[in-house]
This record gives sequence, C-alpha cells and structure tokens, in this order.
Amino acid sequence: MRNFNERFQPVITFLARLVLGGVLLAAGGLKVFKPTESANAVAAYKVLPTNVAHLVGYALPWLEVALALLLIVGFIVRPAAVVSGLIMIVFIGAIASVWARGMLIDCGCFGGGGEIDPSLASQVRRTYFIEIMRDLGLALAALYLYFFPYGKLSLEKAAPSTKEQ
Amino acid sequence: MAKQQAKSGDNVTRWIVIAMVSLVVVTGVVFSIFSQNSKEAASLAALDGFKSKGAIVSTIDADNGSAITFNPGLAKTVDVWEDPQCPVCKYFEDANGEYIDSLIRDKKATVRFHVLSFLGDESVRAANASFCAAEEGQYIDFHKALYRVQSPLENSGFWSNDTLVAIGNKVGITSEKFAKCVNDGQKVDLVKTNYDSMSKYGVQGTPTVFIDGKLWERKASDFNLDEFRAAVEGN
Repeated sequence: MRNFNERFQPVITFLARLVLGGVLLAAGGLKVFKPTESANAVAAYKVLPTNVAHLVGYALPWLEVALALLLIVGFIVRPAAVVSGLIMIVFIGAIASVWARGMLIDCGCFGGGGEIDPSLASQVRRTYFIEIMRDLGLALAALYLYFFPYGKLSLEKAAPSTKEQ
Repeated sequence: MAKQQAKSGDNVTRWIVIAMVSLVVVTGVVFSIFSQNSKEAASLAALDGFKSKGAIVSTIDADNGSAITFNPGLAKTVDVWEDPQCPVCKYFEDANGEYIDSLIRDKKATVRFHVLSFLGDESVRAANASFCAAEEGQYIDFHKALYRVQSPLENSGFWSNDTLVAIGNKVGITSEKFAKCVNDGQKVDLVKTNYDSMSKYGVQGTPTVFIDGKLWERKASDFNLDEFRAAVEGN
C-alpha cells in the first residue's frame, strides 16, 4: 500500500484535485449568477438566522469557484484543500440536520434548492443519503490533498527543502 | 542563501494570490447582493392598474382547519394549501389561479384556502394580512396580488406590515380597520390554527391540493390548466 502510494502519489493528487475542483466548479458555477436562488437554498435549511443565511448564499458560490480554480491549476493546494474539506463537512452536517428534522428540501448543491414539491417526498431520503456519501468522498479527497498537495500538472512544486528530506 | 531568498519570494507570491482570490470572492458577493436589491424595488409596480372582478365574501370554516372558505356547502370541494412565500405555489397560482377564481365566482365548487406560514416570519405576516383581507371580503384579490409581487428571495424584509398594507391599498382594500388588523397581527391565532391543522390532514408541504377530499397528484412535470381542470371536473 505504501509502495503503491509512493509510486502513484503525483497522479492520485492530480486526480483528487480534478475531482474535488471539478465538482466545486460545477456547483459554484451553476449558482454564481443566481444569487437569489442560492440565498433561498441556504435559508431553506433553517439552520442560520435568515439574514446570515442569505449572506452565506451569496458568498458560497464565489468561494466554491475560487477554491475550484486553485485546486485545478494546482496553486496553494493545501490551504484550498483544507477549506474545501471544511465546507464539505459543513454540507454533510447541514444535510444530516434537515434529514433528522424530517424536512423536505432540495439541497441546492448545484443550483435550485428550497422546499420540495410534496409529491416527491418519497425520493428525498434516498437523495439525502447519496448527497452525504458524495460529500464524504469529496472530504476524503480533500484530506488526501492535505497530506499530498504536490502532484502532476501543478503550478506549484514541492519546495526543494521538503523534497530533500 | 539563494535558496532562502527564492523561498521567501514564493511566499510573497502565495499571499498575493490569496489576497487576489479573496478580493474576487468579496467583489462577487457584493455584486450578488446588489443585483438582488434592485430586483425587489421594482416589484410593487406590478400591481399598478390592478383590476378587481369584485369583492366576494368568504367565511372561516372552523370544521376544516379554519380555512378561508368560498361557497360553503357545495358538492364539489377544492382545498388549496399554500404558503404565500412558496415559489411553487406561485407556479400553481399562475397556471390555475384564474380557473379557481371562476370556480368561486360561478359557484361551481366550495373552495377552501388553507393559508400556511412555515417559511418564516414574512409568511406569518402575509398569512395574517390574508385573513385581514378575508374579513374585508377581499381575499380573492389580495391573494392574487400577493403572488404577483412575491419576492424571489424569501424573508428578505420585503413583506413588512407596511408593504402588506400597501399591497392591500393597491387592490382596493383601503379601510383603517384592515391596516390596523395587519399592523397589530390580529389574526395570528387563525394563522396558527391553519398551520397546526397540517398534520391532521397529512399535508407535508405546499402547494397541496385536495379535490373532493382526495389528494390531487399531478402527473405532468409542470402545472398546467388542462390537467387541473380535468381533475376537478372529472370525478
């Protein structure tokens, strides 16, 4: 296992950056010019006070796009991975919380969001589960990037001093 | 020594990039907030030239969740459960509002509006104002007007009591009593009764519609008048 990681680490890092960055870019990009929708989607979780939720809704898509670009081009990957991992954990908590409270909402992860048409209620739990699993996977990718931020096709190279050790 | 210098140069670049990325994010957020604010300011203008088809007296049906009720006692019944802020309810209203209006005016059906308020403070205020308008015999117009100016952003501060009174004025509800009823939240008990009756009727969200007491399940992906009319007139 260790050998495997030593051999393929630059490629794995590259793939992790592409997957995490790609999902963030899609999620952020689809929401970034729909601020109202995004603000409503965050407020629909009923976790934050409405004003704060709206502000988060305005900010989140921009943050996601910024993180995505850093991860994809491979610059300041470690801090970007830390922030990405943290927001994934927040997403998991938020979805688990609406699930636990028996609420029926669209996560609004890739745009949309808000209360769900009640006729779709039966599918919602399954959707919550899939979303949590997806975000968990992305959080693990972020964790990997924390430990191994330097890989193929990256603007940033490992500092020489760390390589020598 | 040279290595040291290169490293600190790298660090400066990193901080510059972090600062630039933060700047882009902040600029984006400010842009988002402003684009929302300008949208809202325009919306009361949508009620200029509102034409009422005439007031219709409604009652409060204590036996059916204290809903706002038109034409009580007819064989055909339509129960509409909605929250004034719910965007999907607006789609329902856009597609079927005029038809429901005609059911009421032609006395074809008993129509009960269960005004819910689970989307936050502004829903409670709007629901309270709805019951105030009903007391004036003007719910039908007020209902229509609410959806016409519904803010795309929920609980944005737009539906203050002042705005709700102004919406009433635009559709011809001008009495002092209405304004007082809205401002004092005189109907919050009815708002609560309506909200509390959701579980009794198995209503989980909005819009929910019962036709002759039976849950209507839409098959089409969007609300369309033909499907709804067929459901009401079919059985």
